[in-house]
Amino acid sequence: MSSFIKSTKEANQIIIIETDGYLNNEGGEAISAICYEKIKGGQHKFLINMAGTKVVNSIGVSILIEIIEKLQEVNGKIGYYNLAPIVAKTFNIMGLTKYSTVFATEEEAVGAL
Amino acid sequence: MNKQFNINELQLKYLELETLLDITNELNSFENVSILLQEILIKSCAVLNASSGLILMQNNNSDLFQIEAEFNIDVEALKGIIFNKKKGFFNEVNQNRKPLNIQISNDNFLARTNCTYGLIAPLLDKKELVGVIVLFDKESRAGISPFDDSDTNMLSAIASQAGVAYNNIKLMENIKEAKTFNDNIMQSIVTGVFTTNLMGEISHVNRAATAIINLEKEMVIGNHYEYVFESNEIINQLISKCEEVLATISETQIQIDCNGKSTSVNISVSPLLNDLNEPIGSVVAMEDLSNLDKLKSTFKKYVSKQIVDQLLENDEMLNLGGQEQEATILFSDIRGFTSMSESMSPTDVVETLNDYFNLMIEIIFKYNGTLDKIIGDALMVIYGAPNSSDKDTENAVLTAIEMQEKLIEFNQLRIINSKLPITIGIGINRGKVISGNIGSRQQMNFTVIGDSVNLASRLCSVAASDEIIVSDAVWKQVKDNKLFKGKKLSPVKVKGKAKPIQIKEILYHRPAFHYEQAFEKIEAFLIDHLPANYTYHTIHHIRDVVEQAEKIAKKEKMSKAEIEDLKLAAWLHDVGYIWEPTRHEARGAEYATTVLTALNFPKAKINKITGMILATKIPQSPKNRYEEIVCDADLDYLGRADYIENSNRLLQEIKLNKNITELEWLSIQDKFLRAHHYFTANSIQTRESKKQERLKLIHEQIKNIKNGTSRA
Repeated sequence: MSSFIKSTKEANQIIIIETDGYLNNEGGEAISAICYEKIKGGQHKFLINMAGTKVVNSIGVSILIEIIEKLQEVNGKIGYYNLAPIVAKTFNIMGLTKYSTVFATEEEAVGAL
Repeated sequence: MNKQFNINELQLKYLELETLLDITNELNSFENVSILLQEILIKSCAVLNASSGLILMQNNNSDLFQIEAEFNIDVEALKGIIFNKKKGFFNEVNQNRKPLNIQISNDNFLARTNCTYGLIAPLLDKKELVGVIVLFDKESRAGISPFDDSDTNMLSAIASQAGVAYNNIKLMENIKEAKTFNDNIMQSIVTGVFTTNLMGEISHVNRAATAIINLEKEMVIGNHYEYVFESNEIINQLISKCEEVLATISETQIQIDCNGKSTSVNISVSPLLNDLNEPIGSVVAMEDLSNLDKLKSTFKKYVSKQIVDQLLENDEMLNLGGQEQEATILFSDIRGFTSMSESMSPTDVVETLNDYFNLMIEIIFKYNGTLDKIIGDALMVIYGAPNSSDKDTENAVLTAIEMQEKLIEFNQLRIINSKLPITIGIGINRGKVISGNIGSRQQMNFTVIGDSVNLASRLCSVAASDEIIVSDAVWKQVKDNKLFKGKKLSPVKVKGKAKPIQIKEILYHRPAFHYEQAFEKIEAFLIDHLPANYTYHTIHHIRDVVEQAEKIAKKEKMSKAEIEDLKLAAWLHDVGYIWEPTRHEARGAEYATTVLTALNFPKAKINKITGMILATKIPQSPKNRYEEIVCDADLDYLGRADYIENSNRLLQEIKLNKNITELEWLSIQDKFLRAHHYFTANSIQTRESKKQERLKLIHEQIKNIKNGTSRA
């Protein structure tokens, strides 16, 4: 597992991925690798705990978009929580929040997905 | 891929602009350079899709850069790399002041970053390169790529903003540092300083100033100086005057009273000017003179003001190392003070000594003596150390004379106020002494020691109660001065000297003794001090004895002068009852010696007076006619008609201490009268028969009581 992925767990059939560090190309690839593998296994709901990620670039965002596209094909969903303001702002500018949801807490996210 | 999900150029530009705006907005909110640089680096990496980055800042003391911020890079791998501002890529950026796009080859010093591409942008302080932002490897979904012109422009814009923010923070840090520095200086200086603004409000105050004005800083800052110094008009006037004339105004040694504390200060008020030389307030400096005053005050307890000032002006005079030198030493002590003080309350003893010492020390300092020590009631004074002059010995003798003369006036006042007089003996010697700081680490005093000092002390012991005894060494130095008159005395043997020492008595003016004045003073003293519960030994008895003494003396054909002496003894014969009734004759003789010396009664006749007093001790034992007269006068009433009244008063006084029956009292009288006899012809003739009649009556009374007792 990449050092960017701090942990993964499952709750209510939702895969929760905890990240740590720069969500760039490398970070994005690490998330997508897990997601694609889980999708193959029949999991369609993902939550990303971004408490440890304070920086994101557009490549990282574009990878998240690729994951969203993949999930749309299987009627899946992805959401995020514990976002730093600058990360939330970037997600917003890059249009990510139009196709995925930002939650305040894990409980809220698990309940909504 | 669905087109709607693509990140388009517009979004990226929007992100860039937002990031730049964020940086612009946030940069000035940072107060710490490290946090600022880290934030710039993260935002730069994020917006430019750099995989990692560094910010290198110039070390203050060299052309080398050091890493101040890093992002997503293994800095451990960069340890040991020298980032020289004037070499390689950095030199190019330094020269051009523009961003530089680079490709990192294996032989490059940045190769250890394991990155391929780099974008270096200058951080400028004005036009000086102070640091660089280095971003590595632009990311894309296809992999890494070089940074393009758009990235270069973007980083250039960020670096430009960062440079401004960096300069602002540095400026703020410098200002804070300067302020802290100034504050530290202000707080550490011992001079009290405060400033006022144009409104007259106190804007700054240092610790020393708050201590001087005895107010907390919070009570001072922001308040108008006229309010703060409400009770110190002089300070307000000085500030006001300074504001008016725009020049420095000073005042020395003024006393200010703040919040119950009084302090002596020197004050200087100067106008506070801005860069344009315009007044923006005043700065007030106050020098606390308390410590100097304390120093002077402490010094002045031991040496004269003149010497203090000399020492403060020229500390070389103060040779504190041990050295042998010539000095004149004066010793004085109070005679009979120990027994005298027994009859005084502790408060009176201290008050008396303080009055005495104040008077004496004033004289000592007048003649530039250094008060070495006070030993009980004795004084040791040095002339010639720590500073010497050719008048040291003369000054010592002048001191001694004035001490004795002033003491006569002092005693006149004490006797008038019914207080015991003080008499002193003085000894002076001159010779070699060792001077220096002598003592332990805990306590060290400047003093002189040596044989000459010991001899001065011995001469003081030799001196009688109103004498000044000097050694031959002293006399040789002052004999040519017509101010001094010496009387040769027999050589004396003193402890520690094998041969007798040649000595002289220094004579001084003594006012003539006046009997009537002495009688009045002694009478007043007796009235004030004889125990109020006494019924026999009262002023009435003493007046009676004086009267009888005069009568008997006249009958005995005594001369007028002899009669005066007899009256003097009569006035003093029971004075000892004040202190010690059982030894009143001895105590009376002691007092007589002191008071008569103080009143300048001829010394040769003092023994005659004390002899008369001592002779009255029962059983009376007169050794000469004078003593016989006083003894007869004292018990004159034994043969008088008023015997009963007197004996009753005596009985009442005896009963103060013990119960006594009538028979016991009669027996005492019987025994006393039978043992008593008059000595002078006049008393024998006029009183003896009546005394015998009284004795018979007493016998009868005793007999009657005894019979009555037997019958009972």
